[in-house]
Amino acid sequence: MIATVATYLPQWIAEGRRCAGPDEDALTMAVAAGRAALEDGSANDVRKVVIVTRDLPLLEGGNAPALLAGLGLSDRVEVVERVGGAPATLDALAEASEYSLVVGTDVSGAAGAGAAWTSSVGGGLTALTRVQRSLPLRVRGQDGAVHEDDDPRLQRERGLRVSLGAAGLPGKPVVLAGLSDREAAAWCEGNPPGLPTLGASAPLFALAALAERGAGGIVAAVEQATVSAVHWEPAGVIVRRDERAARELPRRRLSPGPEIKIAFTAYDRAFDAKLRWQAGQCPSCATLAFPPRLRCLGCGHEGDTVLVPLPRTGTVYTTTTIHVPVPGLASPYALAVVQLDGVDVRALVPVTDCTPGAADIDARGRLVFRRLTVRSGVPDYGYAFVPEVVD
Amino acid sequence: MRRVAIVGAGMTAFGEHFNLGIKELVPMAVSEMAASVDRGLDRDAIEAVWFGELATTDGFPSGILADSCGLLNIPVTRVENACATGQDALRNAVFGVASGHVDVALVVGADKVRETSARATFWDWMGMTRDMAWDYPLGLVAPANFALHVRRYLHESPATREHLAMIAVKNHKHAVTNPKAQLRHEITVDQVLSAPMVVDPFGLYDCTPQSDGAAALLVVGEEVVNRFTARPVWVRGFGLGFDRVMHQHKTDMTTFPATVKAAKVAFSMAGVGPDDIDVAEVHDCFTGVELISYEDLGFAERFRGHELVESRDHYVGGRIPVNPSGGLKGKGHPPGATGVAQVVELFEQLRGESTNQVDGARVALAHNIGGPTAVSAVTILGADPS
Repeated sequence: MIATVATYLPQWIAEGRRCAGPDEDALTMAVAAGRAALEDGSANDVRKVVIVTRDLPLLEGGNAPALLAGLGLSDRVEVVERVGGAPATLDALAEASEYSLVVGTDVSGAAGAGAAWTSSVGGGLTALTRVQRSLPLRVRGQDGAVHEDDDPRLQRERGLRVSLGAAGLPGKPVVLAGLSDREAAAWCEGNPPGLPTLGASAPLFALAALAERGAGGIVAAVEQATVSAVHWEPAGVIVRRDERAARELPRRRLSPGPEIKIAFTAYDRAFDAKLRWQAGQCPSCATLAFPPRLRCLGCGHEGDTVLVPLPRTGTVYTTTTIHVPVPGLASPYALAVVQLDGVDVRALVPVTDCTPGAADIDARGRLVFRRLTVRSGVPDYGYAFVPEVVD
Repeated sequence: MRRVAIVGAGMTAFGEHFNLGIKELVPMAVSEMAASVDRGLDRDAIEAVWFGELATTDGFPSGILADSCGLLNIPVTRVENACATGQDALRNAVFGVASGHVDVALVVGADKVRETSARATFWDWMGMTRDMAWDYPLGLVAPANFALHVRRYLHESPATREHLAMIAVKNHKHAVTNPKAQLRHEITVDQVLSAPMVVDPFGLYDCTPQSDGAAALLVVGEEVVNRFTARPVWVRGFGLGFDRVMHQHKTDMTTFPATVKAAKVAFSMAGVGPDDIDVAEVHDCFTGVELISYEDLGFAERFRGHELVESRDHYVGGRIPVNPSGGLKGKGHPPGATGVAQVVELFEQLRGESTNQVDGARVALAHNIGGPTAVSAVTILGADPS
């Protein structure tokens, strides 16, 4: 049973499509959707996380710990990294056991992410069929280079039509994920909901839209010549959307220059507090230190601190906007010292999801999991401040 | 401890010395200093060296100093203390002389900023002064460190960007007559305000340039002063103050507690107060830093630094002339050399021979803040020993 479906869209658009912000990738968007799905406090119950995407940032490993940290889950939870598009997400949903979080996330094409949380209550999703045929009109090899044969008629006739025919569905789908809204409508009955993405996240946007309508039916997903389909009965499903109105991505210049160095020892020491947004708490006087430190800021006690979660809302104490080009970073960008709500802790963080400089002193906002920068190829995750008012 | 005097002071011009390395700049400054010693300097008289250098561009700093200056038979100690490096080198030399361990000490400050490419400099220098996991990746470039303070300061005080601009205008005007200064041209408030924004609230003219250079002092015990000059400048007091390193741990960012602490110690040691200072060299890596420092040093009441600016009493001829040399803004800022070069200027001021002389100056103050804002040095000099 699927209890909750949540979606996340980056607020930026470029060339008419949602696109990831400069501090977003497949993992940060997966965290945004996943956190929305687990918002009611289900995090302690999660037994398994399945992330479906074709845009995994770390192909040699390291995605899972960052994902779990961002989601606030134990580092013992199993993570399945599933490389795939829209049909793979439907397959993963159909196969998901109770208390799983299934996330689909896309960067290339149109960006966005969706997540579904399975439990003992909610909507029913049953597998109908799966057809896997090869028609690799778009290829991305290990070198990352994309080869694309732009032949939509071949795709439609030899890919979709043949595979859908072979699928032998009991009726027309009510929504078809993986195609543009206009193309998809031709294969569907009724008035299918529009979907903002085309890849692994698209079926989750479809499930959410149908749940909001309160109407189920056949949900199909296509990628090249592969098709999967399920029957979706969305009664009792909670839908949460972390979606802001779309805005044009501000023009920023990326200055060439030497790679930003990474110190792996420092990365390793900071990882938990930095990616889980936790402070060190003094075992003696309970003073919080962020970042955690050996010697207590309050009483001078030295020794192991206990990591405790920090509030994720706050007020800008001071801020500045860097206009000068800094090699490896897109300028302009803003930094802020944010006073967190309810604790005696300030954090120095980038300001994101607004025009640089728009969040002035006293601005309210929340802290979100983002890719702060890429250092010598390594995504450096942490938290950034999103103001409530973006202009 | 015995009294200590400065009897020689010299420096290279500050600027982008693409054609000079640290191995040239350091001996050049020492020779400039030697030429300023009224009764001449036999280099064999130098017994020890304290060398302030923040970064190293051509290898081991102390060895380079000993080798490039031909001082192979005496101890050389490198001092590093962020932008307080130069003044802290002087402070350590004074300890050596005051204790009686040596009679004659050399102080050198130097840095070669324009040695890496302009693009690499940002990250190279940030790597030395930021937490590698928490601050470094954010792009907390040098101006941003100070901008976070000054933005909050402008939020809480009546001061405006125009007051910052007026400080840049003053320091440019002061630099015009200084043959060692990097930017020897006057500017207007309009020019400052309409210049490209670097890091809000600092436009191009609110920022110090990137500079190379070196400066040197000869520091001696009171019993041997007469061997060198009849017009010594006395080291009356000094203080070194600290604050939390990370901005997220500084409770009030409208002030630099490091400066307040350093000034308190220095004033107390010298037996003078802010009102006794006739001329000051104040750290103005960014205009707003000079403004906040007026208050931290006691030249102005809290949140009333802008009134000092409006009164023009911070010009040469005013009540408390600040940065007659042009300051870091006009003269340039090779970090290790900066504090020493401030003392070079004040040495000349107290001997009545500056190119931008403050009439009758008897007591002078030098101030640095850095690291990014976690350390401050304050040094008080006098024409009289007490």
